[in-house]
Amino acid sequence: MGYSRYDFTPLLHSIDQWLYSVMSPAWALIVELTLIGLAFLIFYALVGLFLVYAERKVCGFIQNRVGPNRVGKYGIFQTIADFIKLLMKELIGTKDADKLLYNIAPYIVIICSFMAIGAIPFAQGLLAIDFDIGILYIISVSSLSVIGVLLAGWSSNSKYPLIGAMRSGAQIISYELSVGLSLLTIIVLAGTMQFSKIVMAQENGWFIFKGHIPAIIAFILYVIASTAETNRGPFDLAEAESELTAGYHTEYSGIKFAFFYLAEYMNMFIVASIAATVFLGGWMPLHIPAWNGFNVVMDYIPPVIWYFMKTAFVIYIIMLFKWTFPRLRIDHLLTLEWKYLLPINLVNILFMALIVLLGWHF
Amino acid sequence: MSAESLILFFIVGAFLVGVAVLFSSYVPPKSSNPQKFEPYECGIPTEGLTWLQFNVGYYMFSIIYLVFDVETIFLFPWAEVMKETGMRGFIEIVIFFFILGVGLLYAWKKGALKWE
Amino acid sequence: MTNYQFMFFLLSAIIIIFSILTVTTRRILRAATFLLFVLVATAGLYFMLRFNFLAAIQLTLYAGGIVVLIIFSVLLTSHISQKLEKASISKRILAAIAAIAGAVLCIITILATEFPTVTPNPPETDIHTIGQALLSTDKFGYSLPFEVISILLLAAMIGSIIIAKKRKD
Repeated sequence: MGYSRYDFTPLLHSIDQWLYSVMSPAWALIVELTLIGLAFLIFYALVGLFLVYAERKVCGFIQNRVGPNRVGKYGIFQTIADFIKLLMKELIGTKDADKLLYNIAPYIVIICSFMAIGAIPFAQGLLAIDFDIGILYIISVSSLSVIGVLLAGWSSNSKYPLIGAMRSGAQIISYELSVGLSLLTIIVLAGTMQFSKIVMAQENGWFIFKGHIPAIIAFILYVIASTAETNRGPFDLAEAESELTAGYHTEYSGIKFAFFYLAEYMNMFIVASIAATVFLGGWMPLHIPAWNGFNVVMDYIPPVIWYFMKTAFVIYIIMLFKWTFPRLRIDHLLTLEWKYLLPINLVNILFMALIVLLGWHF
Repeated sequence: MSAESLILFFIVGAFLVGVAVLFSSYVPPKSSNPQKFEPYECGIPTEGLTWLQFNVGYYMFSIIYLVFDVETIFLFPWAEVMKETGMRGFIEIVIFFFILGVGLLYAWKKGALKWE
Repeated sequence: MTNYQFMFFLLSAIIIIFSILTVTTRRILRAATFLLFVLVATAGLYFMLRFNFLAAIQLTLYAGGIVVLIIFSVLLTSHISQKLEKASISKRILAAIAAIAGAVLCIITILATEFPTVTPNPPETDIHTIGQALLSTDKFGYSLPFEVISILLLAAMIGSIIIAKKRKD
């Protein structure tokens, strides 16, 4: 197919070969791992900085304001300036806090998002971890970050963070179920969980089109549930700033606070990437069966661009949610999950299984 | 390769936080003031103990979550092979869902899904 | 020493150190956190053995589910902030005897067992095989256990709801 001209596998393979030919295998492995680590570190930081900027611009757009526009052209260096400011702030904690857990909590949230990001396919051959349980791996790794939130709130020795952490704990674990089940709907259709295979299976149509009704329902459920799972508005009870100051990270200052903030944005990026990969074809260009000319033109756009366009689209939807809807109350939040999303999800999976059984998908 | 890269991602994440925290705890200027280490809360001095007993509702939801989480885990291998097993897989999952639906209905009727 | 051995020893060291810390710390929430590290390192061992599905289960259920449940139930109790009291001498001696007896039993069993040698990089136990086995109705299929699990989960849910509701009344 046309899109294989942008395949990264030969390039990465030749780098690998070259490294192993110049040095001993042990060193080559170390150098390779260092390079991968550095690449992901830079990528992680850049995406985080960009998302914070994007959020403020989108917010400004919706509220009919300009948004950041002072530092650099269109304010593009605003978040970098913010980052340097936060880095230069003194770290203060509360007295009588559980110092050990207080210090461990930022590590847990950052490491969880980092381990999840490694499994996202950015382009053909451009993914670090390709398990046969891909989707389950991401779900399981990101389910750990709730512990970081709970520990942060508890160890601060302050009441508001504790309340925020408890709320967000109950919220994250509840909505995790809906995230898992809505992805499961697509696994039934795809018959695989491996990310590379999922993307390849969408060569002749994205899953949201292939699975029609249940796939569209699953996509809507996924976007709602993942917005809630990442603690973003209108589900941001954990840090309801009008009642709880800033939720579980109230007592964190400087760069430690910045890491919680960064992890939140990266979690949003990860859920948007999963949505783009599982429902919207990931890096796979838009192909319509029998429209050969159209498909050839689409293949000329590099897969990386397709991937980022789709992810940006989902992120934009999630950001629109935040600035459009008022915040929910905790009982409404839990009712929405347990009495609406979960039963709908279960029925939807059966519906999808029936469609797969009868061969009604494309 | 995969297990190594897991450890790699773990180390890189820890490295990112570690270096930044180390930098921040030595380079920025410092000042000491007993007021600084009070819990912030809402700006008024804090009253009483922080670590109080919490609502049973949170516990309730985490238990129901655990049951459904186990169920979801068992659905993953099923979803993987649903396409090939066809009718057999479908019938088995209908029975599985029916029994779990009874569980959800029970929790609903008992008011376990209600926040109080 | 190969990478494989290095990783095995690293993970084993993490498991041993944090297991000891889990039972020796005097603060209950710290114990839960150390338990989390033990569970995650165990998942790492499963990943090394290429039991990816089992490792994911370990992460989701044990580390993500049960530790959260433990934290919530700890916060449900009063007096969380208090440090645990030190046990009396007689209790300690009895506990030590029980622990040593258990350890001796385990060591004897481990030494007596012939373990099959594990080659580095074993083949992946892929989820496809697991799914086929889970749904098959053949002689070595697990379709009946699969259905029984749902009844077991139903019983677990009913039991936990009854207990939690009772506590509140």
